[in-house]
Amino acid sequence: MRRALLLSLTIFAAGLFAQKVPDYKALKYPPLRQVAPPVPISFTLPNGIRVFMLEDHELPLISGSALVRTGNLFDPRDKKGLADLTGSIMRSGGTHAKSGDEIDDDLESIAASVESSIGESSGGVSFNCLKENADHVLGIFKDVLTNPEFRKDKVELAKTQALSGISRRNDDAGGIAAREFANMIYGRDTPWGWTIEYDDINRIHREDMVAFHKRYFFPKNVILSVYGDFSAAEMRAKLERLLGTWNAVEPEVPPFPPVEKVWHPGIWLGERDDVTQTFFEIGHLGGLLNDPEYPALEVAGDILGSGFSSRLVEKVRTQLGYAYAISASWGAGYRSPGGFEISGSTKSATTTDTIRVIREEVEKMRTAEVTPDELRIAKDAVLNSFVFSFDRPSKTLNRLVVYAYFGYPADFLNQYQKAVDKVTAADVLRVAKERFHPEEFTIVAVGNPKAFGTMPLSELKVPVNKLDLTIPPPSPETPPATAAVVAGLESKEKGLAILGRAQVAMGGLDHLRAVKDLDTSTDIKFQMGSSMASGKQHALRIFPDVLRQDQELPFGKVDVYSDGKTGWILSPQGVTALTPPVAQQIRQEMFRNMISLAISNTVPGRTVNAIDDNTVEITNSEGDKARVAMDPATGLPSKISYMTTPIRGAPVQVVETYTAWKAVNEVMLPFEYEIEQAGKKFAEGKITSYRINSGLKLEDLSKKP
Amino acid sequence: MKLGSWSGLVAACLLSSIALLPGQSLSDFEKTVTEFTLPNGLHFILIERHQAPVVSFNTYVNAGSVDDPPHKTGLAHMMEHMAFKGTETIGTRNWPLEKKALAGIEHAYDLLDAARAKGSDEKTIATLQTGLKEAMEKADSYVVPNEYDKIVEENGGAGLNAGTAEDATNYYYSFPSNRIELWFLLESERFLRPVFREFYKERDVVREERRMRVESSAQGLLVEKMLLAAFTEHPYRYTPGGIAEDIENFRMPEAFAFFKRYYVPANITIGIAGDVDPKECRRLAEKYFGRLPAKPAPPRVATVEPVQTTERRVSLEHQEQPILIMAYKRPDHSDPDDLVLDVASEILAGGRTSLMYRELVRDQKVALAAGAQSSFPGDKYPNLFLVYVVPNMGRTIEQSEKASLDLIERIKTRIEPGELERVKTKLRAGLIRRLDSNSGLAGDLTYYHVAFGTWKRMFTDIGEMEKISGADVMRVAKKYLVAEHRTVAWTYQPKPKEGK
Repeated sequence: MRRALLLSLTIFAAGLFAQKVPDYKALKYPPLRQVAPPVPISFTLPNGIRVFMLEDHELPLISGSALVRTGNLFDPRDKKGLADLTGSIMRSGGTHAKSGDEIDDDLESIAASVESSIGESSGGVSFNCLKENADHVLGIFKDVLTNPEFRKDKVELAKTQALSGISRRNDDAGGIAAREFANMIYGRDTPWGWTIEYDDINRIHREDMVAFHKRYFFPKNVILSVYGDFSAAEMRAKLERLLGTWNAVEPEVPPFPPVEKVWHPGIWLGERDDVTQTFFEIGHLGGLLNDPEYPALEVAGDILGSGFSSRLVEKVRTQLGYAYAISASWGAGYRSPGGFEISGSTKSATTTDTIRVIREEVEKMRTAEVTPDELRIAKDAVLNSFVFSFDRPSKTLNRLVVYAYFGYPADFLNQYQKAVDKVTAADVLRVAKERFHPEEFTIVAVGNPKAFGTMPLSELKVPVNKLDLTIPPPSPETPPATAAVVAGLESKEKGLAILGRAQVAMGGLDHLRAVKDLDTSTDIKFQMGSSMASGKQHALRIFPDVLRQDQELPFGKVDVYSDGKTGWILSPQGVTALTPPVAQQIRQEMFRNMISLAISNTVPGRTVNAIDDNTVEITNSEGDKARVAMDPATGLPSKISYMTTPIRGAPVQVVETYTAWKAVNEVMLPFEYEIEQAGKKFAEGKITSYRINSGLKLEDLSKKP
Repeated sequence: MKLGSWSGLVAACLLSSIALLPGQSLSDFEKTVTEFTLPNGLHFILIERHQAPVVSFNTYVNAGSVDDPPHKTGLAHMMEHMAFKGTETIGTRNWPLEKKALAGIEHAYDLLDAARAKGSDEKTIATLQTGLKEAMEKADSYVVPNEYDKIVEENGGAGLNAGTAEDATNYYYSFPSNRIELWFLLESERFLRPVFREFYKERDVVREERRMRVESSAQGLLVEKMLLAAFTEHPYRYTPGGIAEDIENFRMPEAFAFFKRYYVPANITIGIAGDVDPKECRRLAEKYFGRLPAKPAPPRVATVEPVQTTERRVSLEHQEQPILIMAYKRPDHSDPDDLVLDVASEILAGGRTSLMYRELVRDQKVALAAGAQSSFPGDKYPNLFLVYVVPNMGRTIEQSEKASLDLIERIKTRIEPGELERVKTKLRAGLIRRLDSNSGLAGDLTYYHVAFGTWKRMFTDIGEMEKISGADVMRVAKKYLVAEHRTVAWTYQPKPKEGK
């Protein structure tokens, strides 16, 4: 009895306790203690290295990094993977002073690290150590940064590992989906979206890494940051002594290649019959962080699919139980667009319905305003968690360095926070309408379609394409010679080797030979009297001999046609048959076309002789000659020079310089050129479009207007 | 000290240079820690770090998948998911009506189960299924979806999540420090009066998680197969993800019974690290967590794994590139050899100076990657010392196994002084690097407290490790890394199909 009473008293007491606890809505929060973010010190060394430093004495550690403007976006087309290999072998391949293995022993015996890497749009070397080892570790850090040796054994090791990595790239279904989605939306033929193959790795040699490192690792291209337990004045003096003597100079690094905004709507299905789930990625290109609409887009993306309280989690996970992982975000980059990406995985049988529901949810974002609660939660989540951007002093330093690297204002984060605060439901609806394009969605799904059940993907009424996940086996032929190998060859062999390098750089001999016709539109400017005139040129070629060229010039239209033997010319003066000298000029023009020259080793009657390590002279059976100089860094034909005889006057030398190379289908072609005659600029052209193998017909080309 | 004079000297120098620095010796660190146990048995560890106005929380529940009832594998994990579903006041539009509707679901489910057991005709089953569906829809009409998560997110919570392992379940996130009381309220409510709403939909989500983590990955499937071979009795033979058929048949009252039994204050330890006032924390702990009724702590798993006497070998055909796992039986974390095994795994596979990296990856180029883990899948009960190899393209499982076994033989007969010193230095420095993260500290200290009875073990282990000699490492390698206690598991690719 007594015991029972005691028990009930306890329960009663517990009940009393329970009443004292407030509802969460009634809780009042004191203002958050404000901590002024630390202010890093910054200065520039005389050799151009920008330095940011921040002291933090909590733990006896010092860390730092050299951020270098480089990236795999600068990979040569035929040596994709060069940046990555260079980045890892800088450290593993050792320095002049020490082998990589000696550095391993040295660092691991003091629990320190020095690491190097090159990613998509940045690279660098970092270190981390106990403060008493700082001098020693900084010495190794500097050596790895400025003086890597790229020892052959480590080059071979890294290449073996890269090849193994390629062989394993289809192991993870989720990984396949993420990779293929990114490649699709950025474009498979661009440095943003191409895939590294065995042949690429096999073509990379030590010399390439030495050259890549030399090109990008120089003081003016480096931002150095140092963090931890040191005195700033002492550290500054130390860095000046250590790095002051590094005087490498290189031309300014160009901007990264732009991302072309092209939609790739449709479904791409990667088949794996050994998985029970489908991994999917849905979306299209996103935008930039400094886009004025970014805060509203970020809020829209969050409400759609970020965190446990988002619409997609609520619908797809909580209500339907279709997925464990489901998320969406408006991806934004500093200088190039991120991806607007919805990703997750669901059991095979609910694949189609999940994609359907996702598209429906995106559509809802575009048709009705989000609720006040949704807006408040999404904004509060950003605003209230803002403090976590400052919870470690190192975050402030790192942010500042990244902003400096990409040219963003130092207070960008604060601007962003203020902008988020101002976002309205109307803003969210507006940006969702303007920037989410479900009809343009690229949908990549990797799974087992045999188990999709009663709802195949075709029900989505979007074309379904099959993803080719085959890993191309390495080519049996010997890899094309590198610049250094070329230097050791005799003239003729050497000529072919240089040309071979150019063919690879332009996309490979097979692809070049596959070009049957070429349609080129060009805006031209040329010297007319003492001023520059402009015009338009539309050239249609059927290789090897046929050319039709229509020009709009200030003095009227000039159209020319030649099949290699005969032809006509139409000018304001009327139509006439080609005179032999003009016919010859046109034939020479066809011979000197970039693609025609590039395949010279396969054309009977042509010879290819080396002039120097990067230049060949090509002669045809008619005795026409052209010299082609390759860019030593890329292997691409950058200059074509030849002698020409004007209608009146003495022969003059013409030099054509080609730049702005971009991929067209499988082939690299120049989009800009300049022509010099007798050492003076004569004309320039900007190609507005190339079309390869559009099916040009002789009878159409020969038709007079 | 058992070390020879030369290596002892090196060790002493390094030790003094690291240990004498301010802020990370045990005596300095101790000043920032406050501990207390509530009358109901719930233990708190507070770590003060006032650098920034943020706090990280970790609730360590000393129950994991080893505690899953028989034929209910995955139930601890299911319970973890339900802890985000809200309470009697959070996540509901009308609790009294929702409560009735939830009971209605169970009733309808019971009727359906009974009819199935009886072998009733399809029409009856279909009617009962419709009844169950309607009962669920009714209950759903009272739900405010994901309200618990929303409260955390809108208040700036960061890193909200939980994890179920074999030995324990952890719940964690961080808040700006002015919202400490909100954490006390939310966390105590979910363990005082949780509501397991939307249970059957969440069961599908848990099933999906298993498909994603295990069924869609060769590694996931191989680990599952390896554990089934290595353990014949002990629940370590099942992964926290559970068996598909078990998950598909979970019932809500089973999960609730698991909660009642294992989520008792005496079985919970909470770590809070960051910008906290210990006095205020204690007041809030008493106010909010004092409400949890005291109950006896649940028992440990009693099953003892029989001694393994012969090597076990299992393999799995899979399209993915091959992988190899070798697992050796070892004792639990309370064994005196525990730290020696940690050192052995570091010598074998810790970093670029380790034996496996140098031999397998660098010199022989057998492996793309190789590693070792001294305890797997948990460490509360006797478990496995794991070695794994990812072979390079064109290299075989046989070559990988042979090369790994050679190295395991090597550490039975020879440990270079330099190898041992490097590992000790690294583990010492590793401790310092672990001290700069609130969430890391909240997690680490609760683990050490539960596993060893005191968080101080995290620091004193380093001193104990200093005493380990090369002879100790050779001795444990000889004792544990032997063929009869080994399970070898690997994947292989199917032969290419004919005519394709």
